[in-house]
Amino acid sequence: MVEVKLHDIGEGMTEGEIVSYLVKVGDRVQSDQPLVEVQTDKMTAELPSPTTGIVKEILVSEGSLVPIGTTILIIESGQTKQVQHEVTVSSNRNKAEKTNRLILAAPYTRKIARELGIDIEKINGTGPAGRITDEDVYNYGTKAVEPMAPKIKEVTNNEVESDEIPFKGRRKQIASLMSKSLFTIPHVTHFEEVDMTNLLDCKQQCKDSGVNVSVAAFFIKAIQLTLIKYPIFNSVLDEDHGVIKLKKEYNIGIAVDVEDGLIVPVIPHVEQKTVKAIHEEMKIAIEKAQNNTLTKADISNGTFTISNVGPLGGIGATPIINHPQTALIAFHKTKKKPVVINDEIVIRSMMNLSMSFDHRVADGATAVRFTNEFVHLIENPSRMLLEMK
Amino acid sequence: MSVIAAKTQKLSLVQAVTDGLRTVMKDQEEVLVLGEDVGKNGGVFRATEGLQQEFGEDRVIDTPLSEAGIVGTAIGLAINGFLPVVEMQFLGFIYPAFEQIMSHATRIRMRTMSRFHVPMVIRAPYGAGVKAPEIHSDSVEAIFTHMPGIKVVCPSNPYDAKGLLIASIEDPDPVLFLEPMRSYRAFKDEVPTERYTVEIGKANRLKEGTDVTVIAWGAMIPLAMKAAENAQKQNIHCEVIDLRTLYPLDRETISTSVQKTGRAVIIHEAHATSGLGADILSLIQDTSFLYLKAPIQRVTGFDVPVPFYTLEKHYLPDENRIIEAIKRAVNF
Repeated sequence: MVEVKLHDIGEGMTEGEIVSYLVKVGDRVQSDQPLVEVQTDKMTAELPSPTTGIVKEILVSEGSLVPIGTTILIIESGQTKQVQHEVTVSSNRNKAEKTNRLILAAPYTRKIARELGIDIEKINGTGPAGRITDEDVYNYGTKAVEPMAPKIKEVTNNEVESDEIPFKGRRKQIASLMSKSLFTIPHVTHFEEVDMTNLLDCKQQCKDSGVNVSVAAFFIKAIQLTLIKYPIFNSVLDEDHGVIKLKKEYNIGIAVDVEDGLIVPVIPHVEQKTVKAIHEEMKIAIEKAQNNTLTKADISNGTFTISNVGPLGGIGATPIINHPQTALIAFHKTKKKPVVINDEIVIRSMMNLSMSFDHRVADGATAVRFTNEFVHLIENPSRMLLEMK
Repeated sequence: MSVIAAKTQKLSLVQAVTDGLRTVMKDQEEVLVLGEDVGKNGGVFRATEGLQQEFGEDRVIDTPLSEAGIVGTAIGLAINGFLPVVEMQFLGFIYPAFEQIMSHATRIRMRTMSRFHVPMVIRAPYGAGVKAPEIHSDSVEAIFTHMPGIKVVCPSNPYDAKGLLIASIEDPDPVLFLEPMRSYRAFKDEVPTERYTVEIGKANRLKEGTDVTVIAWGAMIPLAMKAAENAQKQNIHCEVIDLRTLYPLDRETISTSVQKTGRAVIIHEAHATSGLGADILSLIQDTSFLYLKAPIQRVTGFDVPVPFYTLEKHYLPDENRIIEAIKRAVNF
């Protein structure tokens, strides 16, 4: 008997949703054959079979949310025939799990857990080498008190009736990342106006010659070129070691709006890519995001993020930085507007952008110089050509 | 500070020792000073300078070069009503007197069921950092803190030096009084001219902080303070504790502080193995285990004899090593 358990498939996840089974009871499976699709906070992953054998039992139904360590299904791999024996194994499951797990935690952390009445062995550590931090205990504690909610509901009987959406999975992950970013990074946002006319002309010319690339691809290239001049915005503040790490790769994340929330696939090594290549990769990334097939690699190692909300509308925003990055730019709706150029009123395609940055790391003047440079490249696409490698 | 002084004077640590001796000798005729060259020459570090001229050869006694003899004589004097203050030229010279201290000085009270006691003080300059030859730089306080019956005291500044020395002379039992020779003339402090004491067995919280407790004594205190100030610039708030008495330890001050900060860094220049740091570590684990957020760090000399002066600074804990340990504790 081999119990297939939900294990941590990346970045200290604590729970996952069973999306669908790729096998059914009685199926013969090979070692490493995918058994089940699991949706974590950030991505969908397949759990491979740890052994060759026959699927004996499926314990968790599709659509259920289960914590790490839960046995999902059982594979019969050997000659085990005694049903009695099998029962003993499964009833002892929880006990065995508890005593076998090695827990790394400082005495003080253990004390907090004990005082909160939390079994520390159930917590997944996010500290170095998987150590459980004080924060992990507090976070777990918040989860543990969730069952209290219905009680409160009974008491306040004059509450307005409401429909309920479960606050879990990706929504919850987004919430926690956003709170973390906003609570740790002192955000400053400044706004700028960009004349898109020349870039749109350039895009049209490309299209006429048979190459259709999106405006966003130009943005990404221009951002990367600007980051070379202002590397402070391609950095991560490492407070623990008292350093600002200027990243030597330009991995630009694109905030993509999909049905169940925001997800940020990353275009790696933009500095090595043409606008066309960026466009192609971006198309694939967005498609993957929409189909929920992004892997951990697709969403990791971003160094700067853009949010292109233009197609939806809106003229300004105060975007929240994608922690632990240093800055994020949002692009808004482009519309034709009367603009004064050389004392004449002309019609130009204008767009607003909003740049949020970490005021611990950079100052307003640097951020303004950064956007000035970016705007200059976008307004003069030919200049951008000269800068490209 | 245990007294509000009407009058003070600026003294170095070694001058504060002389002042402490003079203050007590004026008051009490039973106080005698014994040692090699303490009289005419004023001591190897001038700690007894001028005392023989002031109090005479009967009270400031130049002895033969025999540490066992000096300590043995002092024990006899102490049992018979005198208050002898012995000077060891260097702590490393105490080894010949070890038998007298361990077999007799520490045990007479118990052996005689308290009919006799040994109110004796052994002053001993200790520690490295002054480019002295072999044996002159030893910091072997742990050998003595291991033995019940003798108190071990170690001031880090002139004020404590005078106050603790007077308290040691007043103490009814033997006291080993360690003087950090590296700090002898390193700086001056305002020291009251009158007689006052600093209580034996009480540590001194030199700096308040919330992030980590730094525990040190003697010549390591100026380094610990510097490191703490440096850490402050990096937003790490150290609480610095000067132990002042190494035996018995001030359990309360140590544990209260560690329970507050959850972290501890112990600094001593003596060898690590079986050093006093190990005992403090054990004390913290006994009293404050559940408060610990990180493993306790030790910054010590290495397990080798104190090397000659070209390598001495590599042997001794320095500010960098201390800062690194503080960061290790805080960033664990």
